[in-house]
Amino acid sequence: MIKEKLNVEESQAPRFEFRTFGRDFEETAFLMSRLSVPVPRQMWERHSEEIYIVSRTNDVNNTKIRDGKIDIKTFVQNVDDLEQWNPLLKGEFPMKVEILKKEIFPVFKVHIPKFDKNEYTLDGFLKIINHHPDLQAVKVEKERFGYMVNDTICEYANVWINGAMLVTVNSESTVINDIKKTINDIAVEGIENINYLQAIKRVIGWIEKPLAN
Amino acid sequence: MTKHTEARYEFRIFGLDLQPYKQKLAELSEKSQTRQMQWVYLLATGNTDNNVKIGEGVTDIKVLKERYKGLELWSPFFVREFPLHTDVIKTVVFSALGVSNPKFSRIEYTLEQFIAELITPDRNLPVAYVNKKRQGYYLNDCIAEIAEIIVNGAFIKTMCIESENPEKVLATKKLLGIDESLENVNYPLALKRIMGLVGLPENWKK
Repeated sequence: MIKEKLNVEESQAPRFEFRTFGRDFEETAFLMSRLSVPVPRQMWERHSEEIYIVSRTNDVNNTKIRDGKIDIKTFVQNVDDLEQWNPLLKGEFPMKVEILKKEIFPVFKVHIPKFDKNEYTLDGFLKIINHHPDLQAVKVEKERFGYMVNDTICEYANVWINGAMLVTVNSESTVINDIKKTINDIAVEGIENINYLQAIKRVIGWIEKPLAN
Repeated sequence: MTKHTEARYEFRIFGLDLQPYKQKLAELSEKSQTRQMQWVYLLATGNTDNNVKIGEGVTDIKVLKERYKGLELWSPFFVREFPLHTDVIKTVVFSALGVSNPKFSRIEYTLEQFIAELITPDRNLPVAYVNKKRQGYYLNDCIAEIAEIIVNGAFIKTMCIESENPEKVLATKKLLGIDESLENVNYPLALKRIMGLVGLPENWKK
């Protein structure tokens, strides 16, 4: 039974998520660690370096690039302040210009720039992004510690956005009530649900709102 | 707010692991004090020679006068409390930012009006809200500090050595064991990097 639950990490079932960002979630980290069932070793601690592409005109598609692969998720719905995101598309660089024009750039909901090549490497793609007035590539480094509380996947993570540090905690599952119970159990009740795009936009000054603490 | 009026050579770094320098400063320092303050930095991307910030209702502009052996000489240029007269905003503040003047609808602006009506609507004028908790030191005739700063909610640290005498700053760098190859990064540049307004060098990591 536990094994089946833990495999949800790899499953494609759309999950609801509570996530928030701030600078101090020490109590939450402690509670997560004490309430968690044992998790597979690969979830204990994970490090990654990613590039998020943020768009001034779009908050419904979350685009990130890791190890030369692009991964786009799209917002589905908000239920009781929990957000549900679905995988939308995945791709790998180098990428054909037709895919950029017809699949990737429409996701950003900005005007499509002019392309002068048939195929783009990641560096070439990032040059286009950084020249676009409504898009920005943001470097995000993560140090994630995984837990499983009330059958929800949880993490406590240190996150560096262009070198400046934040802490994030989350709980995700296909079962809303499990997340709600976890929010209460890990002492984040009443705290704003802030997803990655929102946190990044606040740090880079596109949204003038505070983080959770 | 205490203001210095003389130009100083400055060496500054940003990062999260400044503990070795902090330890060394604590060992060698003659005196230290702690200050905490909230600043608003105005960050026009094309402007690299003027540091324009507002703290406790006072506009404070410093000008980069010279680069010398990896140090930067910053000179106080303008310090004035809000409200500011439109002519001053036009000829001093916007001129320092290097952006074209917006339309003005008032003769003078309070800080709130200035930010809400002249800065926020202009996409070319990103703003960084910076909370600084600064620990000051004095050694080798230099002022030094280690500060914990929060930039638009995110955390980073900075260390600085400054003096009117550049050779003193260079000697203090050596005293603290600061690697020659370490990049001197001023506040506006660091904030622009964090906010993605300029590219990140390879060594700009956590």
